[in-house]
Amino acid sequence: MSNTERPPVEPLSDVAWTRVERGVWSRLDETDVVRERHSPRRWWLAAPLAAAAIFAVVLIVHTPARPNRDEGPTRVVSEASSSSVSLGDAHIALEPHSAIVMDSHAGAPNVLVEHGAAWFAVEPRGSRPPFVVIAGDMRVRVIGTRFRVARDAERIEVVVDHGIVEVGYHGELVRVTNGQHWSSDAPSVVAMAEPEPAPAPVTPEPAPVTPAPIVPAPAPIVHSPAHVPSVAHPVTPPAPATHSPAADRDAARYAELSRREASSPDAAMAGYLALSKGSGRWAQVALYAAGRLAADRGEPRATTFLEIYLRRFPNGANADDARQLLSRLKGTP
Amino acid sequence: MGIAARNPRELDVALAQRAGAGDRAAQRELFQAQKHGVHHALFRILGSNRELEDLLQDSFVAIFRALPSFRGDSSLGRWCQTIAMRTAYATIAKRRPAVLELVDDHLADPTPDAQRVMRAKDAVRRLYGALDRIEAKQRIAYALFAIDGRTLAEVAELTDSSVLAVKTRVWRARRELMRRARKDEVLSEYLTELGGDS
Repeated sequence: MSNTERPPVEPLSDVAWTRVERGVWSRLDETDVVRERHSPRRWWLAAPLAAAAIFAVVLIVHTPARPNRDEGPTRVVSEASSSSVSLGDAHIALEPHSAIVMDSHAGAPNVLVEHGAAWFAVEPRGSRPPFVVIAGDMRVRVIGTRFRVARDAERIEVVVDHGIVEVGYHGELVRVTNGQHWSSDAPSVVAMAEPEPAPAPVTPEPAPVTPAPIVPAPAPIVHSPAHVPSVAHPVTPPAPATHSPAADRDAARYAELSRREASSPDAAMAGYLALSKGSGRWAQVALYAAGRLAADRGEPRATTFLEIYLRRFPNGANADDARQLLSRLKGTP
Repeated sequence: MGIAARNPRELDVALAQRAGAGDRAAQRELFQAQKHGVHHALFRILGSNRELEDLLQDSFVAIFRALPSFRGDSSLGRWCQTIAMRTAYATIAKRRPAVLELVDDHLADPTPDAQRVMRAKDAVRRLYGALDRIEAKQRIAYALFAIDGRTLAEVAELTDSSVLAVKTRVWRARRELMRRARKDEVLSEYLTELGGDS
């Protein structure tokens, strides 16, 4: 390329990536099933394996706390009631109908949340490797705290009860602290958490958990992508200010609208516009979100919203993003 | 999933081994780490995201199936892209050329900048339309070298070929494109701008 710029590589939407990922796991699982069907020496293994599985279930049900793990991944599934397990000195309380995969290597514990939700109580790690929780594209690095991670397909939420965690998502790091809430719906926004139902006790108690060691997790079923986070134009939260009930209400309202973007974009748009009429600090975030959503939907009014945003908030948290998006919509570099 | 202090190549091999053994968490980690690199390379070959989802799926399935053969001789990223190039070649070689879409040349925004952007988009569309009619290996070599700006050595590694073979493919692709551009002023101008002498 000498005199001209390279044509841009257009990013694939998160929804498209979800479809690709789901298709890959589904095809890999099919391959595994076919391989098993054609394996001539598997049938006689079935009975001992079944017996071993039953024995393992019985053993876990009657064991109050699980020992420290360093022998490979273990999948833990809770059924209709909540369950608790231990991983090293960390305690994990699974909410009903949840599944996690626990692993530990060279003293570095990590947990993959497949679906559902779990509370984690992690003792201060000191000089030990951090405790890591992974859910989809999100990674939580823990120094010592109590927090909850919930996953529904590719939608992930983190609530911190006390302490601080570092949430990594699509290359961005966000710190979530006491009483705060983070969601993959609005990955740049850390809001005050709404009151959660009391979690299961964190002391390890015998609870019915069904282990299935080293079994690849089934491909997650994506019910409906709740929201497509705008990677190119993340919403930057307003600068911290004194907390007020109104601000918290607006933050919660914004999070709710953001969640509804994919399923009810018209309602989300109306909500953003209503929120943007206020004078609170969330008004500017909502106005930018309205412009960004309109742009995503190819609506001509996107330009108007973004221009109004820049007139009202020339130094707003999303002013640079608004200018870039506006330039792109107008076809200027 | 351990976080031991190891060099990147060792981490690549460890991740590939776990993913190759069917560890779904490792497979997800590998997918997340490599998806953008693979997408970038494939986008350059096809020129748009249309049809790309299927090709991405095919590529990642091929990558996961080939993982047991990964020895860490190159980075995992480069290795994944090599597999993706093989998959792209198999797909392009057997498909029929796409029909060039007709576009409305009317510009809603007549400013010079908007016109320049529209003209560039049109030129890229014509370029990929012409590439659709070129032999698959030549197309891949040209797209990676002339459009994506990779070196001949890099393209050779990604396509399991010698540098000389890649150089020849790029030259043939350019000659064929120039021949097609004789009747297309926009494409001709764009090819001249692309340059990139090998």
